[in-house]
Amino acid sequence: MGTKTSFLIAWRSISRRKTKNLSVILAVALGVTLLVGIQITTDTLENAFLTSLLQGEGEVDVRILNSTSGGYLSTTEIGPIGDLIPDAVGIMSEVSSQIPALVESQFDPNMNIAGVSTNYSDVFGTFYDWKTGNQLDLDSLFVDNSSILLSSDQAEKLGLNMDTILPFNLTTEFTNLTTTVIPPPLIPLSNWTVNSELTNSPHVLVSNPLGLHLELQPTNFASMVTAYTIAAPNLRLSNYAYVNVTSSGTSNALISLSFFMDDGSSFDVANWTIPSILNAVSFDLTPYSDRILRGDVYVSVMSSNGTQASLDMLDIAFETPTIGGSSRLPVVLLTPELARVELNVKGFFDSNRPGIGSQYSGAVFKLEHLQSWLSLKDPFHETDIVSAYLIAFKTDHFTEEISEEFLKTKVELLEEIIPEKTDDFTGETNKIYQVSAPRLNFFGVAGFFITLLSTILSALGLLITLTGLLLITNVQLMSVEDREFQTGVLRAVGENRRGIFQSIIIENLFQGIIGGILGLFGGLAFGQGVAIYLVSLFGTGELSVQPVISQEAVILSVIVGIALSIITGILPALRASRVNIVDALRGIKVKFEAKSSRNLVTLGGLIIFLGLIMLLVNGVFEESSQVFWSADGWDTLAEWRNLMIGFGMLAGGTGLFLSRFINRIKAFNIAAIVLWAIPSFLFLVAMGNWITDTGSLSIDILFIGVGEIILGSILFVALNLPIVMRGLRKVLIKIRGLKGVAEISPAMISSHITRSTLTFAIFAIILTLNVLVATLIPTSLGNITELEEDSKGVDFVVFLNKPETILNGTSFSEELYNLDSQITDVIGLKTFKPNQDFTKFIALENPLSSEFDGTTDLLPIGTGEFTSIQIRGNASDYSDDNWRYAFYLDGFPDGIRESFASDLSDSELLVLSKRSWDQFFNSTYRMAAYNVSSDFLSIISGESDISDLQLGPGSEGDSFGPGSGGDSLEGVEPLRNVDGDIIENPIVFTDSFLLPIGFQVWIPMNISSMGLPNYQAFTIGGSFDSQRAGGFPLGSSLNLGGGETDFSAVLGSLYLSEYWANQTNFLGEANNQSLSSRAKDQYDSYLIKTSLSIDDLQFEQITQSIKEFVNTNDEGYRFLADDNFYVASTAITYARVEQTLQLTDRITSFLQIYVTFGLAIGAVGMGVISVRNVAERKREIGMMRAIGFPRAAVILSVLLELVVLGVIGLVIGVIDGLIISAGFASMQNVALVIPWDQIGVYLSFIVLIAIGAGSIPAYVASKIPPAEALRYVG
Amino acid sequence: MKTRKNSQELIKKQPILSITNLHKRYNIGKSNEVHALRGVDLTVNKGDMMAIMGPSGCGKTTLLNMIGHLDRRSSGNIIIDKVDTSTLPDSQMTAFRRDNIGFIFQLFNLFPFLSAVENVETPLLLKGVNSGLAREQAKMLLRELGMGDRLYHQPNELSGGQQQRVAVGRALINQPAIILGDEPTGDLDSTTSSDVMILFRRINRTNNQTLVLVTHNRWIAEQCDYIVHMRDGKISHLEPGPFKRMEKKQ
Repeated sequence: MGTKTSFLIAWRSISRRKTKNLSVILAVALGVTLLVGIQITTDTLENAFLTSLLQGEGEVDVRILNSTSGGYLSTTEIGPIGDLIPDAVGIMSEVSSQIPALVESQFDPNMNIAGVSTNYSDVFGTFYDWKTGNQLDLDSLFVDNSSILLSSDQAEKLGLNMDTILPFNLTTEFTNLTTTVIPPPLIPLSNWTVNSELTNSPHVLVSNPLGLHLELQPTNFASMVTAYTIAAPNLRLSNYAYVNVTSSGTSNALISLSFFMDDGSSFDVANWTIPSILNAVSFDLTPYSDRILRGDVYVSVMSSNGTQASLDMLDIAFETPTIGGSSRLPVVLLTPELARVELNVKGFFDSNRPGIGSQYSGAVFKLEHLQSWLSLKDPFHETDIVSAYLIAFKTDHFTEEISEEFLKTKVELLEEIIPEKTDDFTGETNKIYQVSAPRLNFFGVAGFFITLLSTILSALGLLITLTGLLLITNVQLMSVEDREFQTGVLRAVGENRRGIFQSIIIENLFQGIIGGILGLFGGLAFGQGVAIYLVSLFGTGELSVQPVISQEAVILSVIVGIALSIITGILPALRASRVNIVDALRGIKVKFEAKSSRNLVTLGGLIIFLGLIMLLVNGVFEESSQVFWSADGWDTLAEWRNLMIGFGMLAGGTGLFLSRFINRIKAFNIAAIVLWAIPSFLFLVAMGNWITDTGSLSIDILFIGVGEIILGSILFVALNLPIVMRGLRKVLIKIRGLKGVAEISPAMISSHITRSTLTFAIFAIILTLNVLVATLIPTSLGNITELEEDSKGVDFVVFLNKPETILNGTSFSEELYNLDSQITDVIGLKTFKPNQDFTKFIALENPLSSEFDGTTDLLPIGTGEFTSIQIRGNASDYSDDNWRYAFYLDGFPDGIRESFASDLSDSELLVLSKRSWDQFFNSTYRMAAYNVSSDFLSIISGESDISDLQLGPGSEGDSFGPGSGGDSLEGVEPLRNVDGDIIENPIVFTDSFLLPIGFQVWIPMNISSMGLPNYQAFTIGGSFDSQRAGGFPLGSSLNLGGGETDFSAVLGSLYLSEYWANQTNFLGEANNQSLSSRAKDQYDSYLIKTSLSIDDLQFEQITQSIKEFVNTNDEGYRFLADDNFYVASTAITYARVEQTLQLTDRITSFLQIYVTFGLAIGAVGMGVISVRNVAERKREIGMMRAIGFPRAAVILSVLLELVVLGVIGLVIGVIDGLIISAGFASMQNVALVIPWDQIGVYLSFIVLIAIGAGSIPAYVASKIPPAEALRYVG
Repeated sequence: MKTRKNSQELIKKQPILSITNLHKRYNIGKSNEVHALRGVDLTVNKGDMMAIMGPSGCGKTTLLNMIGHLDRRSSGNIIIDKVDTSTLPDSQMTAFRRDNIGFIFQLFNLFPFLSAVENVETPLLLKGVNSGLAREQAKMLLRELGMGDRLYHQPNELSGGQQQRVAVGRALINQPAIILGDEPTGDLDSTTSSDVMILFRRINRTNNQTLVLVTHNRWIAEQCDYIVHMRDGKISHLEPGPFKRMEKKQ
């Protein structure tokens, strides 16, 4: 019989066995639903995420900026730029900045503003009115330079809505820079007089503001003339580097020039030198830097040849160095003044509607108006300024996004043709423009996060899909088992094995196609649902979630459906084709032989060989790993991967091999135990104890470990199912009324080991996952108990948007004490965020070196100050117990880092931290700079792409911050200068994940006369432990779930000691050089300790009252400071824990989707099994009834089977889940909390599922008349 | 006339089973309605061994199922051991079946997943007998039935005859009022069949056990005390078996 017959048989079987086919189709559909659902979820999320990112760019494809950071372009450059991009469909100029905004009492310290030309190109779209949706007429709205439009986003941020009455006033501040030119300090040349005591010859003295002329008519070689002045200014010599004299005179003149200082000593700028030398030499003042001029200056002239000699001095100048050396320039004093300005809001535009409005999240000015406002902070009040030229290559980005490839090509091409300019000063050539394409970055960022997300989704999905596969296999197996008799008949009437195989596969094909199509719809619904749910969990809700059904997904679903049903059907089909005709006809079920064939033995040998090779990788083939027979060979995760695979294969192979020679069950039992024990050992013992570096835990190791545990335990239980069932029978048979069921049910379960195993395996996998998830929360709760200790008593933090005002008789801290009597300690801190002021950015390369590139080497990272009194209180050093706020570090400076180990106790860690703090406050301490780099930095600076970033193991060095054990700089070379000496710098501490220990940075200190910062080099000497309270409250965490995330806040900050902070004009007094510097106690962040316990609910009220105190116009602190531009925000320490909990909660509920789906699969599996069991066991049920089993017993036996299988799955799942959780717990160094109540819930859930799934078939079974049941032949 | 006289003579003995005007219809009201039993009257005395013979489809198995309470009658009365079961609810009927009737089937119908001794002890367990005691009784019975060395074998490890012995054991263990056999030797070869029949005879004689067997094997039927012939859902006639005839002659 050929294929045609196979088709015929398959077709009849499909059309006549409807309910039985239904279960296969259902199973396939479920499996496909999962796969397609995950695919669609990922696609949809990527699209939603990307759309939300891209929306903010409006129609803009590329921005062209000045290539020097922070520099402006001019309006005239639109021509040359336009010429560079002939194929742009639109180009517009834009000026942008950030200002504070106050409306009523609502304050936004950083509102984005942009100036837009009123006749910008139509390509960029239209501003639409928020309320009416009509087009806004810019020309009529921007009546004067105070007219602005507010975006709907910004309006909401300021507590306004679309019905707010227009126009209204918005108060802001603009920086007004006044320039004062102070001429270089000169020694006045008028009013000099001759000193008669030091004059012995005829002479001429002409002294006036234009110059000093001194002429000598010598009478002999000792003739001299001396003139002096007492009108020299009392200059502080530390402020000056050189004395420069401009002079001329006869070559025979010998000149002496002396200045007297406050201590009565003097220095000679000239000591009998000739005028030309005096003119050429700059006199170094460094040795006198601690002195002040007394006021008297002497100049003497002698003649070297006895003839007439003369000297003309045009000026005597005290000079300071500037970049490029010393020159006599006037000192320019720039005085920034904040001018408070009332702006007039003329309208709201919709920032969520496609159009130009989506480009702007803050306020919009007319271009010329904003140019004039911003010109105020320019020393020359230059109004011809453009921040960027915006280029569009196409229109209607909202309907069809630009192609990533196209844009990439465009940008690369553009970058190439940008003209270069040679810097006169350094002689280097630079591109004059910089091209920025946020869209391209967004594509990259979206891709990066989605890859991460889809990895997690797929990982989970894979597990659940596995359960789906088990279900399908189970159903397929049953349908074959069920038809063994028919198969026997078919074989008897002449069908050959191939025919049987074919007909079953053809049947599977039909089922696969139908299941695949059904699964597509299921997957669509599932994917859509999950995507929406995910967005609601993690997103702001603004993401537009449009289901994205790619063609691949559709094709995939059908292919997968078919593949699933065929692959899972092959084994059962093979089994069917091998049916022994006689046995089948006699109703004897196929039984495995007790011992294996030679083929299996060969296979086993092969697997043993591979396993041995994997084991030999450790230490023998791979040098970096240790050999596994020594304890060192078990202490890294990479080694464990090899060990798990190696021993797993060895055990499996040995099982197969031995199965020929000893009892199969015994042989496989060994394999199962080994398979289970190795990863269990990893999770229970090795993790956290042997393996100290768990930072490189990767998904594959986790998969192997979890996979082996689950597989091993399932296999073990399956092999020993008869023993378990005998145990069950022993228990049940003692119970009156259950004796009959006790005799039957356990035997029934162990009679179908494969089927039973596949069923409880589904539950085992799902429940492992479930228990893992359930343990996650209480285990992370364990972290909280440490919080109180770690927070060092700081209960909450108050942040002001700007430094407090210096008040007479009080201070902000003082006011806080008054506000609530429970506040016991207020630790004020100075912090500074550079925002857009690039002169205050941290430099990653020496700004004076030729390698410095302003576009990539400046980082807008914050700075802050720690004073000894804040941290140490009155304690003198680490040995003192009485520290005020001693928090943990996890990166330490030289000399301390070496004694760090991961297994240190908290108190030992604290001692190391305190010792580091001692170094920090020691202003003479210097630490070597090391040759370290940061992957993250190179991404941020644009040197490498985010896609280059390696996650998990394999990334060398420091990509995820300091390692968790040992000396992170061991073996790293210190940096050396040109002379070969080790570079040593003072240290700073950081909470930034970007900056590794040993890294050298340059921090801008005081601003020089040129308005440019002077940089001081530092070594990163310590990092705060963000896992402990060390990272809190200063460390800014990524705040998932909305809210504003300030870029610089995400990057973290660098912290200077008091000594160094005082030399910056934005944190300290900077030697009184700058008017914008801070007073000693002018803080902006306050760590608050109270007499309450850390989880007290009163903190909500206290922080609320502080916010009210500060954030109300003309009252409280705004009244005291006479400034409505203050806004306070607070962070409660315990709330951080709650945030973590919420996040865990979200992740859990996300995982719950999968878990629920898994349970649904389990339920369907049970349903299918019980239906099939009942159908197949009709005759047995008839027998039961015939010999006197009551109906209830029949129902009970059907349900019992399901409950027992479910509970076995539960037990395996709970044990495995707890083992894995224990691993995670010891990895995080927290106590494992077992969620017994949750496990109880699962238990009842399983029982419910079993009863639910089995009740109908059980009832049907009990209703079958015994006589009819006995006639059933299948 | 002769047979009638005989049967009246039997009634005077202790009737253990009496059937009057029994009807059974399948698929009532449907196009494929079958009137399987059309008024059967039959009385079986305690200790009788009776065979029911007749062509295929004459209602033999239906009658046996009715006697065994495996199926509901359409009308008529069945009184077993003086109990009229027509009004009993299912639960009591099941208990009645468990306590009073033993079944032996052509295909043995042993539980394939239970060992011989487990198959045999099940009815005892259903009655709530202590499991240890039940096991002992089952073992004893199987030893009596010559299965002492096959106690823990599963049905598919046993030959047909052995399986039937286990089935007999299961039917006997409760000491039922009647043992019903539906073609008990139909699946066995002639040697084994005769072994099984000798076993039945022995049980019948030693325990005074009532047996009703359905068969269409004349040789089997002739081992019985009486042979009931059925045709078209009715009993056509009843004849005494050879043993009975010999008894009579003596």
